[in-house]
Amino acid sequence: MKDKITNFAIEHPKRVLWITLIFTLLVASQIVRIHIDTDPENMLPEDQHDRMVHNQIKQRFQLYDLIVVGIVNQHGIYNPQSLENLRKLSDDIKQIEGVVPHELMSLATVDNISQEGPGTIRFNWMLPKENISEENARQIENNVSRLPMFLDSLVSSDGKAAAIYVPIEAKEYSHEISQQIQALTDQLQGSDEYHITGLPVAEDTFGIEMFKQMAISAPLAGLAIFLLMWVFFRSFSLITAPMLVAMSTVLVTMGLLIGTGFTVHIMSSMIPIFLMPIAVVDSIHILSEFAEIHKPGSRVKDSIRHVVGNLFQPMLFTSVTSAVGFASLAFTPIPPVQVFGLFVAFGIGLAFILTIVFIPAYIAVLSPASIEKLAEKHAANESALDLRGPLNVFHALSGIYAKPAISAALVISVFSFIGIKHIGINDNPVRWFKEDHRIRVADKILNEHFAGTYDAYLVLRKDNSAQELVFDKALNELASNNPAVAQLMKEVPETFNNFSEKTSWYIQAADDASFDATDDSDIIALDTVIALAEKNQSSSKYFASPEALAYVEDLQAALQTGGVVGKSNSFADLVKTVYRELQGGNEDFYRLPDNARQTAQTVLSYQSSHRPADLWHFVSPDYNEVAVWMQLKSGDNKDMAEVIQQVNNYVKHNPLPAEVSLEWGGLTYINVIWQDAMVKGMIYSLMGAFVMVFAVMVILFRSVIFGALAMIPLSFTIAFIYGLIGWIGKDYDMPVAVLSSLTLGLSVDFAIHFLDRARTIQSETGNWKETLALMFDEPGIAILRNAIVISIGFLPLLAAPLVPYNTVGIFLASIMAASCVVTLILLPAILTVLQKMIFKDKQKDKQTTEVLSHA
Amino acid sequence: MRKFITHTILSSSLAFLAMQSHAQEPSVDEIVKKANHVAFYQGDDGRAENRMKFVDASGRTQMRQFTILRKDVGKEDGDQLFYVLFERPTDVNGTAFLVKKHIGKDDDRWLYLPSLDLVKRISAGDKRTSFVGSDFFYEDVSGRALSEDKHTLVETTATHYVIDNIPNDPSSVEFKHFKVWINKETFLPEKTEYYKQGEKLYRTIEALKHEVIDGYVTVTEMKVSNLETGGYTISQMRFIKYDTGTPESVFSERSLRTPPQQWISRPQP
Repeated sequence: MKDKITNFAIEHPKRVLWITLIFTLLVASQIVRIHIDTDPENMLPEDQHDRMVHNQIKQRFQLYDLIVVGIVNQHGIYNPQSLENLRKLSDDIKQIEGVVPHELMSLATVDNISQEGPGTIRFNWMLPKENISEENARQIENNVSRLPMFLDSLVSSDGKAAAIYVPIEAKEYSHEISQQIQALTDQLQGSDEYHITGLPVAEDTFGIEMFKQMAISAPLAGLAIFLLMWVFFRSFSLITAPMLVAMSTVLVTMGLLIGTGFTVHIMSSMIPIFLMPIAVVDSIHILSEFAEIHKPGSRVKDSIRHVVGNLFQPMLFTSVTSAVGFASLAFTPIPPVQVFGLFVAFGIGLAFILTIVFIPAYIAVLSPASIEKLAEKHAANESALDLRGPLNVFHALSGIYAKPAISAALVISVFSFIGIKHIGINDNPVRWFKEDHRIRVADKILNEHFAGTYDAYLVLRKDNSAQELVFDKALNELASNNPAVAQLMKEVPETFNNFSEKTSWYIQAADDASFDATDDSDIIALDTVIALAEKNQSSSKYFASPEALAYVEDLQAALQTGGVVGKSNSFADLVKTVYRELQGGNEDFYRLPDNARQTAQTVLSYQSSHRPADLWHFVSPDYNEVAVWMQLKSGDNKDMAEVIQQVNNYVKHNPLPAEVSLEWGGLTYINVIWQDAMVKGMIYSLMGAFVMVFAVMVILFRSVIFGALAMIPLSFTIAFIYGLIGWIGKDYDMPVAVLSSLTLGLSVDFAIHFLDRARTIQSETGNWKETLALMFDEPGIAILRNAIVISIGFLPLLAAPLVPYNTVGIFLASIMAASCVVTLILLPAILTVLQKMIFKDKQKDKQTTEVLSHA
Repeated sequence: MRKFITHTILSSSLAFLAMQSHAQEPSVDEIVKKANHVAFYQGDDGRAENRMKFVDASGRTQMRQFTILRKDVGKEDGDQLFYVLFERPTDVNGTAFLVKKHIGKDDDRWLYLPSLDLVKRISAGDKRTSFVGSDFFYEDVSGRALSEDKHTLVETTATHYVIDNIPNDPSSVEFKHFKVWINKETFLPEKTEYYKQGEKLYRTIEALKHEVIDGYVTVTEMKVSNLETGGYTISQMRFIKYDTGTPESVFSERSLRTPPQQWISRPQP
C-alpha cells in the first residue's frame, strides 16, 4: 500500500503537486469566513449548569457585562472640571451603539438621597445637569460620603477617582466600544487621566490582538524554522518542501475548521502554532535521511523509496500517537478544547499523508542538478552546526555512564513530583496581557482606587413551593364549597412567573368577581380568597423580612473581613440607606427596618427616584431572591475560588435559612468554573491519552516492553515540565493545561523514532554497543536537529504581546529540549542497562519488524 | 343635576367647536390648551380607583392598587390638589401621597408611611421621577405645564392633530422633544412619543380605552412603555366619578394619617 502511494508520487510528481496546491487553496479559501470568538464563557457548553445559572441570574436581575471606565485625578475628582468631564463622558458613552444607556452607572446618572430641612427627604440627580460650581463639587463630595452604596464603587474613598460602569449588550462589542470611549476621553479638557478595563474588554481585546498574532507569530515561527533548516540542509529548494507541507497542513486545517462553521476561539487560534512543528518534524526526518543516504551519482527515485521505506513505520507510529494524544482532548468537557484537539489530530493525519506523498513528489521534480548539489554540499559541508559534540556526550552518558544517568533521572523525577505538588491553578484573562499593556495598567490603577473592577454575584433564593401547595389546597377547599370560587379556579392561567403573581391574580380576579357578585355567600367566599391571597403574598416576600436581610447583612460582613472581596452591595444596604434618610438621616438609623411592612414602605419611597429599577438588580420583584454584588480587586481565579470557599465556610457555620438556596453568577465566577472543568478535563484527557498511546505503542511495536520504553521519555518530560512549572511558581493556566497534550504528542515522537531505529539496527548488528554507536549517527542527528529547529523556531512567540503565546513559546522550546535529551540519554541508558532482557528475542523482533514494514 | 346639564351643554358645545374646526383649524395654542384640559382638568374634582400593572422585560408583573382624589383649586386649569391612598399590595396598604401641584413653581409632595408612622415631605429636583416604581412619571399623573414647552403643529391627519413639543429648559428633562397625537373630535391626547438625542424613540404613552363618564371623555386604560428597558406599565382607572364635591380640607396632612373614608370609598351606582 505505502509503496504504491510512494511510487505514484514519484512517477506522477507534477500531478501530485498540482492536486495538493488546488486542494489546499480550495479549502483555505474558507478562511475568509472566519468568525472570532474570544468569550471565555464559551469554554463551557451553552447548557452547562453554572453557565445557565449565570445567564438566568443576569436575566432575572437585569445585569449586564460591564466595562469600567475610571477617571483619575491626583488632586481629587471633586472639582468642577473633573465632574463636568464625568458628566459629559457619561452622556456621550450612552450614545454609543451597543451600550445599554439606561443602566449606565456613574455619579452623573444616579440620584442623591438627602435631607432638606426637617421632615423633608430629597431625591435629586447627584450632579447638576449644567454649570457645576466649586461649591457644588464640595457638596457632592459630602453627599457621596453619606451613601455607602456609591462610596468605593462610583467614587474611590480617597476622592481621587470616579468610575463609570458601562453596561454592554454583548461582550463581543467591548473592544469596539472601549475604542470609542477612548476617542471620547481624548477630547476632554483638564488634567484627568482615563482608564478603561473590565473583563469583557480584556477578553474582547485579547481576541483582536490574538487575530493579529495569528498573522504575525505563526508566520514568524515558520520563518525561524525555515532559517534553521537552511543552516542544517543548505538547500533552499529542498527545505521549501517541509515549509510547504506545514503551510498546506495549517491552511487546510484552519480552512476546514472555519468552513465547517466553528468559531476561531483562543484555543483554535493556536492550532497553526501547534501544527507547524508537528508537520515539519516528519519532513525533517525524511530530508535528514535523504541527505545522508543519497550519494552523488545514485538514482534519486531509489533514494526516495529507500528513505520512505525506512521511515514509513516510525512516521506512521508517531502520527498515530500524536493524533491520539490530541484527539483525547475530545473527552474534556470544554467545547473549544474539543475542537482544538480534534482539528490538531486531523492536521497531524494530513501532515503525515502530505509527508509521504508530497515530499517524495517534490524531491522527484527537483532538477537532478540541484539534488547533486545538495548531495555534494551535504557530503562536503557536513554541518554548519556541528551536532557531533553533544551527540558524543549523549553517547557516553547512555553507554558508559548509563547507571549514573538513570540515577540522575530518578533524582530529577523526585524533584519534579515535588514541584507538581506546588502547582498553583490560576488564570485571569486580564493577565493575558503584559504588565505594560494599557488594560493591565488600567486594571492596576483602578483596583488600587476602587473596591474592585471584577464582579461576582451571590444569589440567595427562597423556595416557596411548599407554601404554594398549602395555598392551592386551601383554595380548592373554598372552591368545593362555593360556586363563585369554583368559577374563579376555572379561569386561572396555567402558569405564573412566580407565586407572588399567582396571588396577585387571585386578588384581582376575586375582587372583580366580588364586584359583580350578588349572592352574599359568594361575596363572603370571594373576600376569603382575597384575604388568603393577600396573606400569602405578604408572607411570600421573604427577603423583605428583617431575619432574611440580617442573614445577608451578616454574610456580607463576614466576606468583608475575608480580605478578598473589596466590597459587596446588596438590597440590605439599599434599604438601610433609604431607611436612615426617612428617619432623618441620623447614622443610628443606618439599620434594617423592624418588619417586612417597613421594608416595603421604605422601598416604596425609594421608588419615587429617577432610577427605581436599580432595585431589581438586588432583589427580585417578588422579593423571593436577592443578589449580592461583590466587587473583587483581582480577577485571579484563585482569589475568586477563595471567596467561594469563604462563603461555603460561612454557610457551614451559619446554615442558610430554611428553604433558601445559594447560587453564583458573574464572569469572575464563570472563569473559575471553566478553569476547574479544564483542569479536571485535562487530567482525565492526559491519563486517557497516556493509556491509549501506550496501547498503540504495544500494538505497533508488538511488544509490551517496547511499548513501556516508548512511554518513558514522555512520562519523564511531562513530569519534568510540570515540576518546573511548580518550582518556578508559574500558574497552571489555560495554555499550560493544553501543553500537556503537546508534550505527549511530541515526546513520544522522538522515542518512537529512536526505538524503531534502534530495534532495526540491533537486529542487524546483534550487538548493543555497536547499535548504540550507529544510533548516535544519523538517527541521533535527525532527532537533535528536529529538537533544535522546533525549540528555536518557536522563540519568536516570546515577542508577542500576549502572555499565553509567550507561555506556549517557552514551553514548546522546553518540551522539545527536554524530550530530546531524555530520548537521547535516558532511553539508550535504560537499553544499555537492560539490553539482555530487552533484546533477548531479537530474532523474533526482526521478523515482526519485517512483517510490519511490508504490510 | 344642574352641573351635569351645564357639562352636557359644555361638552356638546366642545363637540360643536370641534366640528366647526373642520372649516377653520384651531391654533396650536388652542389645541394644546384643550387637550390639557381634557386630560387633566375635567370637572371641578374627581376620584378614581387605579390598578397599575408593571411588566418588566422578562414578563414579570407587579401590582399597585390605589385610589386617587383630585380637586382643582387654581383658576383656568391651574393649581390642583391630589390625594393618593394605596390599598395593595397589602404591605403598603395605608401609604398615602398628598400633592399640591403648582403651575410655575415646584409642587409640594408629602408621603405618609403607616408602618413607620412617618409623614415626609418629598422634594424632588424635577417631576420626571418614577411614580411609585412604575413607568409613569409624576408628571404623567399630574400633568406637565404647557408653559414648559414650545408647541408646534407638525401634522394634521384625518383624525388627529400631531403636536411636537420642545422643552424650554432641556436640562430639566431627559427627552429632547415629544410628539402628541390629539384626537380632533375629543381633544384627548391619545398617544405621546418621547425622543432622545439622535431622534431615538424611547418612551410612549398610549390611551388604550376611553369612556364618557359623567359627561366627560375619560381615559380608562393607559399604557406607558419604556422602550429602553423593554418594560411597560398599564394603568386601569375604574369607579371614576367627577364633581363629587370633595372639600379642599380633604387634601391636608391630617388625611395622610387618617384616610378620608367618605371620599375614598367607592361611589354607589
